[in-house]
Amino acid sequence: DFKGQKTADDIVRVVLIASTILSFVIGFVFSSLMITMSTFALCTVALSLVVLPPWPMFNHHPVTWLSVQGESQK
Amino acid sequence: MHSIYARVNGISALWSTCVMVLLGAVALSSFLFNADPKGNLDIVSLKVFHSKTRRYPFRNEEIGFVKFNLSADFTPLFNWNTKQLFVYLEAEYTSPQGVNNTVVIWDRIVRRKEDATIDIVQKDKYKLRDLSGSFSNVHAAQYSLKYNVMPYVGVLTYGEAARTVEAIDFPDARDSVS
Repeated sequence: DFKGQKTADDIVRVVLIASTILSFVIGFVFSSLMITMSTFALCTVALSLVVLPPWPMFNHHPVTWLSVQGESQK
Repeated sequence: MHSIYARVNGISALWSTCVMVLLGAVALSSFLFNADPKGNLDIVSLKVFHSKTRRYPFRNEEIGFVKFNLSADFTPLFNWNTKQLFVYLEAEYTSPQGVNNTVVIWDRIVRRKEDATIDIVQKDKYKLRDLSGSFSNVHAAQYSLKYNVMPYVGVLTYGEAARTVEAIDFPDARDSVS
């Protein structure tokens, strides 16, 4: 469904950009590149758990197909 | 966004851009750290001996042996983006043709901040030999301690930490067994 697709897309965009900034700042504060990379990896894993599997929340606005019409012509 | 494959595709595009931006930011951040460590370098002795070249044992050449005192503190160079520090001791001299020569005679790789202070009395690790095989026509040499910072992501930076105060002449060659 289209509303759900747009929701998923928005989530991905916001979370990825936020996690980039967050992991840079956290790593800089703790002065360790390992922390930067691991926060970014954790955010990626969390994001994919939320977005990749087809949760039912993405299906709240299903597309309403038109009902099947009788054979037209012929 | 209608199937898992489409979602994976969409995420991976933005994800790879974000990774590159993150690494670029890390590389740029090492320009914020400016450190200029200084140290002390003394040459204890320099001797030149006749010997055979390594590859052609029938040919004679002159090899210099240097003993030196070295103390330096490189801890300010270690920031979050420093992977290792390559420290090396160079002999610089001008050949009679006017060409500048530099010979690396000792080096060390420093990987952790705790190992970054150096305080040793050491003899050289590599051979000090001139390309022409003889030191007799060569001008006096200056010895300098240089370092190279290798980051995880970013550009390599070079620097010089110590230098002998005055140039030191090469003594005449002598035979080693005498």
